[in-house]
Amino acid sequence: MNGQSDNIVIRASGIAKLYGEVVAVDGVSFEVRRGETYGLLGPNGAGKTTTMRLMSGLSPLTGGELTVAGIDVSRQAREVRNVLGVVTQQDGLDTDLNARDNLVVYGFIAGLSHAQAEERADAVLMYFDLTDKADEEIDNLSGGMKRRLAIARAFMTKPQVIVLDEPTTGLDPHGRNSVWQELETMKQAGVTVFMSTHYMDEAAALCDRLAIMHHGKILAEGAPDELVNRHAGTEMAQVRVSNGSRQDVVKWIREEGFDYREAGAMITVASRGGVRPDLSALDGVRVSYRPSNLEDVFLTVAGTELTNE
Amino acid sequence: MLAAQGTYIGGIRLRSVTGIWFRHALVLRRTWIPSSTWYFVEPFVALMALALGVGALVGDVDGVPYAQFVTPGIIAGSAMFHAIFECSWGAFFRIQKGLYETTMTAPVNTREIAMGDISWAMSRALITATCIGVVAAILGWIDPFTVLGILLVAAMIGMQFGAMGLIFAALSPNVHILSLTFTVVASPLFFFSGAFFPVSVLPEWVEPIAWVAPLTPLVHLARGFVTASLDISHLYSALYVLVLTAVMFPISVRLLHRRLVK
Repeated sequence: MNGQSDNIVIRASGIAKLYGEVVAVDGVSFEVRRGETYGLLGPNGAGKTTTMRLMSGLSPLTGGELTVAGIDVSRQAREVRNVLGVVTQQDGLDTDLNARDNLVVYGFIAGLSHAQAEERADAVLMYFDLTDKADEEIDNLSGGMKRRLAIARAFMTKPQVIVLDEPTTGLDPHGRNSVWQELETMKQAGVTVFMSTHYMDEAAALCDRLAIMHHGKILAEGAPDELVNRHAGTEMAQVRVSNGSRQDVVKWIREEGFDYREAGAMITVASRGGVRPDLSALDGVRVSYRPSNLEDVFLTVAGTELTNE
Repeated sequence: MLAAQGTYIGGIRLRSVTGIWFRHALVLRRTWIPSSTWYFVEPFVALMALALGVGALVGDVDGVPYAQFVTPGIIAGSAMFHAIFECSWGAFFRIQKGLYETTMTAPVNTREIAMGDISWAMSRALITATCIGVVAAILGWIDPFTVLGILLVAAMIGMQFGAMGLIFAALSPNVHILSLTFTVVASPLFFFSGAFFPVSVLPEWVEPIAWVAPLTPLVHLARGFVTASLDISHLYSALYVLVLTAVMFPISVRLLHRRLVK
């Protein structure tokens, strides 16, 4: 291993997963660097969860190569889980145990001694500000608390990489915020995080780099603002058209070569190479401008909206 | 990284098995007051009613007082219900709630999950057998030394019905199908196991069926210890149960794997 590749914790090369005839992950490649938060952004069914299960050695690969911390996942699925902390979409908390015992039992099963597991559980609870919930029954915790406890559990073994599948799906805004804070704490501590999300704002707020995933493929990859600049320009023009003017507006946009999408009476036009589309000369239109975002990127590269049907 | 590499025996990571056992033991420690009714009160009430009620009517059965005759039967039945409940009902909900998925995010495989659960099923069978056996011995219904024989049988019951329970848990698509484990499997097995009456009194055509049913040889074996009447038939019973368990265990692992690893 040379000095450069030392910095790469996860290396996926053409990984694929088939369920019978269905292609869930279709030859995906990416690299995750030590200490960064790397995200998969895409709608439900894009193949994000499957990618995470492949990485955790919970699903066997159909093709490609995947190494985590130098360990080949397809040959040493069990060993990979020694260096990973995995948080599945279902929190998977044990409702027959209290919060602290959830951590202790997991740590013990993962290989800590009983004393180590207890010590570590107290440290982790403190670290994530959950100490006052230590003796609480799981059913009494809010959704956000449960999710934070599930993340804390993955932290029990001091893993090299945390794998987080949809960390805030199904949470209310308050719970979502508290999970974001927990992730920020981990990030400050230099933990490598591999996460998936279908929330554009979450990807933008948390990820150093991300891959846009759709139909089992990665369509674009980069830092969030870099992706926005590259694929959606800096600004989007939002054009409200009247019935009579629609054809003229669309014709003008096509001639000028801008990317656009139509939704009802609204046409959204991407700027290109820093040039904002100036539609003010056209009749019967009202134009406003807003900064481009990752949803615009998704639309440009996938040709469809980032929505979950 | 704190996680130890751990000790392996024949590809089995020991900590996976002991860790799952520890989880179950911790749950029992938290719930032991209500749980004690299942381990002891309920089966003991059944035993009392039969020993004192039916016992007064029938007198000796197969040459021993009815209380002595029925005690190993009730113990075997209770052990079976504990084992099969843990590994069917309990395991089904651990699959549903994603608890096994969580367990497998640690370096644990499906075989070890099955072994952990079955080891706990054996523990449950042993706990209930000890509770009832000791009290029956104190009451003078059975010889205290024969309790050791009963415990051996209870361990075999735990293993066999633990593996069987996991098969049902892994096969059941929903809780309604799962409940057939009790209505169609466990209860009939119990009633026709010879726990309450000698299998020989059954009509000729039912008797062979009763002997093939997996609890019957275990009741026979437990009774052999209690009535100090062990012969070659008990050896056959033990072998039959061991073969059945050896067949069911890999099937349970395979079905669990199919359910958990996609």
